[in-house]
Amino acid sequence: MASLINIDNIISSSAADLALQHEVQQFYYREALLLDNIKYEDWFALLDDDIHYYMPIRRNAMQRRGRARSSDLAEYTNKHEFAHFDEDKVAMSGRLKKLLSDFSWSENPASRTRHTVSNVIITEGEADNTLHVCSSFIVYRNRLETQVDLFTGERHDVLRRADNTLGFKIAKRTILMDQSTILSNNISIFF
Amino acid sequence: MNPEDTLSHTWTNEKIKQLVSDENGVLDARIYNDEALYDIELERVFARSWILLGHESHVPNAGDFLNTYIGEDPVILVRQKDASLRVFLNQCRHRGMKLSRDDAGNAKAFVCTYHGWAYDIAGKLVDVPFEKEGHCDRLNKADWNPLQARVASYRGLVFANWDEEAPSLDDYLSDSKPYIDTMFNRTEAGTEAIGGIQKWVIPTNWKFAAEQFCSDMYHAGTTSHLSGITAGLPDGVGLNDIQIPTNGNQFRAKWGGHGTGYFVDEPGLLAAIMGPKITEYVTASPQAKAASERLGSDMFGQRMLGQHMTIFPTCSFLPGINTIRTWHPRGPNEIEVWAFIVVDADAPDDIKEEFRKQNIRTFSAGGVFEQDDGENWIEVQKLFRGNKARKTKLNVQMGLGDSTTEHPDFPGRIGGVYSEDAARGMYQHWLRMMTEPSWDTLKP
Repeated sequence: MASLINIDNIISSSAADLALQHEVQQFYYREALLLDNIKYEDWFALLDDDIHYYMPIRRNAMQRRGRARSSDLAEYTNKHEFAHFDEDKVAMSGRLKKLLSDFSWSENPASRTRHTVSNVIITEGEADNTLHVCSSFIVYRNRLETQVDLFTGERHDVLRRADNTLGFKIAKRTILMDQSTILSNNISIFF
Repeated sequence: MNPEDTLSHTWTNEKIKQLVSDENGVLDARIYNDEALYDIELERVFARSWILLGHESHVPNAGDFLNTYIGEDPVILVRQKDASLRVFLNQCRHRGMKLSRDDAGNAKAFVCTYHGWAYDIAGKLVDVPFEKEGHCDRLNKADWNPLQARVASYRGLVFANWDEEAPSLDDYLSDSKPYIDTMFNRTEAGTEAIGGIQKWVIPTNWKFAAEQFCSDMYHAGTTSHLSGITAGLPDGVGLNDIQIPTNGNQFRAKWGGHGTGYFVDEPGLLAAIMGPKITEYVTASPQAKAASERLGSDMFGQRMLGQHMTIFPTCSFLPGINTIRTWHPRGPNEIEVWAFIVVDADAPDDIKEEFRKQNIRTFSAGGVFEQDDGENWIEVQKLFRGNKARKTKLNVQMGLGDSTTEHPDFPGRIGGVYSEDAARGMYQHWLRMMTEPSWDTLKP
């Protein structure tokens, strides 16, 4: 079975051009500001029509020789199995409608979040105007009076050059959360 | 109220009996957050009830195992060479370490990582390192096996129970079986689980979650899930354009605290959650018609829609949506939800895929319906820290006295879809479990 992510290719890739690296990082910083400032519609506009927003479930599995973590289908559920998110544009637009309603209780009042994105590695050139980008995130969420959640993980994006103010659209986002049991009452925010 | 009642930490049967009134429909909020009551629950409810562990298809082959819990006790569910199932405490008899730490897998034996005591897949101690040097032939290994639970299946669902004296699973399910079968007995092929168990933590008492799936259609059509319904509406259709159904019923088991509710002939809620493809599969497809034949009526095969159900205490599921979960208690103020999806084993691949995607979209930690449930439950739970708030008498009176046992379409004790009779039944059974130590009085 095909692996989820070919992590060895990413590790062995050569550093991207400095200007491109800068451009992609600046895109991520601005994308994070959209999420942290609950500009849901502007963030949703960054999702391309063929968006695949995907977060598999992570499991506890004993290590075996020769298995690489991010490509390990014993550790992550596969595409035919349950997932935390496995969304196309229609499903994401439904999530947007929910957030824009006045009674989306899990985000009304809205969570205070801080999306920090780092460890950005661009692994493929600009063929077909797309980039493959691996990054790490730390997302802090504080909600209502005292609720605190901390989510960290890895994102594997396919970005596509776009004629918008931020310069890119997100065609694919695979999120590898660093939790097996989700240590929160819900996942009502985006990563 | 006598001030002593709220300050005392010693619960007697008489005091516990005052917490719930089936007759008047009143609950004392302390049932949701009292530490001492929770200790009694672990002993008298969770160590004596049948607890859902998983699905037969989670462990198809000899040696396949699934690590899960009965209450707060970790247990291993293992398929045996003769195809039977065993469940035993995931704990070494030497120093109490876990025997298995994979979520699931296939094993020939379970070897403790602390000192290496090894147990076979039936839970029998078979090897003790340096046994000769350390024990000098004095160790009778047969005396040192982990505690075994009783295990039984109903329509592919695997339950376990520590109590030798408890009724069989068959008797335990009481008269609720026809209502379970609407989800699990639609086809000769039975059901299968889609791979992957989603687990998440909600700081709430297990009874909120169990009761909602047992008895609470009320929250679905009022305020809780309006934004979830909005998420599934086609472009151009708003909440004002749809009508929340009112025609339906609720069932309260004659014994056991189980309950269910459903709309009749009104597919609106189901369609909002699962979309047109699954709604058609459940209500009008050739498979739906075959289910009606199998279940004995088109009512049970095609017309009970948006169904919710709890098998006491912590097994909850939604027929037609096909999520199923166990609410594992973690103290009085927290649960772990362990949820999975089932599908008819002979359903077309595209239908299985649609069930998978719609459950992820709606009933999961990130689901547009379920994320709002977690929000309500944790706020209520936190509120009960208050001295006055925890002593509040809560109203569970809808449909009080309105149920009948002579409904033309539905067997058992039946009320209206917005009744709370099943909730009263659940709390009444909880009360009996908490206060009746012997199965002589408690048995069905």
